[in-house]
Amino acid sequence: MFSYFSRVWAARYFWVHLALADLRSRWRRSFFGVTWSIIQPLGLTCLLALVFSRILHTDIVTYAPYILSGIIVWEYISANTIGGSLSFVQADAYIKQCNHPLAIYTLRNILSSSIVLMLASLSLYGWVAIVLPENFGWSWLATLTIYPVLAAIAWPVSTLLAYVSTRFRDVPHALGLVMQSLWFISPVYFEEKMFRSGGLHALVDYNPIYHILQLLRAPLLHGEWPTLENYLFSLGTALVLSLVAILVGYKSERKVIFYL
Amino acid sequence: MKKNRILLENVNLHYAAMAYRERSLKSLMASAFKKSARNGQIADIHALKNVNVEINSGERVGLLGHNGAGKSTFLKTVAGLYPVSSGVLQVSGQVRSLFDLSLGFEPDATGRENILYRGLLLGLSPKFMRQKEEEIVSFAGLGEFIDYPIKTYSAGMQVRLAFAISTTVGGDILLLDEVIGAGDANFMEKARSRITSLIEQAEILVLASHDFNALKSICTRGLVFHHGVIVYDGTIEDAIVEYKIVNGPAQ
Repeated sequence: MFSYFSRVWAARYFWVHLALADLRSRWRRSFFGVTWSIIQPLGLTCLLALVFSRILHTDIVTYAPYILSGIIVWEYISANTIGGSLSFVQADAYIKQCNHPLAIYTLRNILSSSIVLMLASLSLYGWVAIVLPENFGWSWLATLTIYPVLAAIAWPVSTLLAYVSTRFRDVPHALGLVMQSLWFISPVYFEEKMFRSGGLHALVDYNPIYHILQLLRAPLLHGEWPTLENYLFSLGTALVLSLVAILVGYKSERKVIFYL
Repeated sequence: MKKNRILLENVNLHYAAMAYRERSLKSLMASAFKKSARNGQIADIHALKNVNVEINSGERVGLLGHNGAGKSTFLKTVAGLYPVSSGVLQVSGQVRSLFDLSLGFEPDATGRENILYRGLLLGLSPKFMRQKEEEIVSFAGLGEFIDYPIKTYSAGMQVRLAFAISTTVGGDILLLDEVIGAGDANFMEKARSRITSLIEQAEILVLASHDFNALKSICTRGLVFHHGVIVYDGTIEDAIVEYKIVNGPAQ
């Protein structure tokens, strides 16, 4: 166990470089380059906020940052589930040549999507600071915890999915559907109170996605600290998934090369 | 004082035949519902059978055998890529392997960037690779192409670059799989002398090849593989004779 993580650490130059290379190739030869990860969610937010605030009769000033926070975190989640499930298949050239721990190939996605998330969240901080300046305070420090907490959940999830998808190549396709439904039943764009007023408390209270989003939303949108429950639920999810991922990895890591 | 050694005791290796049959959920479900009409399931491919080898510091070992005899599998097992099904595998020392040279290039990145990436892939630090960069560039001899993306390279140029990178960083245990024979005649000469010096630096060399002259000039000990079994282990000259006997006069 410990030696496995020390091997991950020993290969750090390699996966950090893979992650940075992914980002470079994503922005290569585009005029706006890095700023695309800020422009894209902002543009989508403007569009959605305009439409939804009319349909749902909500206040656009507070609803827009709600959507923006949903978009950027969801982007991260889908990059690491749908994208992450393919990480072993995409890295087959490396896996067949070098005996690195396989978890570095999902860590590569975690790192690159974390950087994108951090960049994208800059626009969220900026937006909120302008339209809701009264929320600014020490509680904003809590928003920084979302990055390690998200990574602690996404790393085991994408590693698990990568194992399964290498064995069953239908999984990445099916995942698109699963994630779409997960999006629909989670308070990503739709407000939490809409679920609650519909009597769907369980979809909020037992939904890790809600608790993770609260780490960002409670401070920024309400000027409050995230609750202990938010942290316990997020970290508990991370713990359970990590145990499963370690177990599955222990059994199947060495066999992955046969399925590539 | 560390001692470099490769030790295999009763090593068996099976390729999971499952990997080549059930690729999709559909076929898995189909086979679950279908009564196992065909009892003759495809058996796992038994790629290495009861292999017992000990290779010590200073040995130069050549692997002989027909295609599919288990030479590459043996090398990849020693490199730690394939899991052994049973038996003991002990490898002490830093392993460097040259298998498929053109694997793992980033087509959109330039040659220079790829030098760094490949070095990192081999587990080296960026600092070390930057020191070695000029040496690699001059050995590869690609001129201004080194600053062009890899996708503009011809196959031969890719091999030259890969070869230059892989052979600049040495190791205690060197595993080579049919790599002698890359590039044009001019480069071949350079490559041959480079390989020779690399071999001299390495503590242990294991080379799989069909080139008897290369084997004779480089190796001292020969292992003959036949259908996953080591049928001969002795001097390289005798191994070549044995290989010809095992595989019939047509060779």
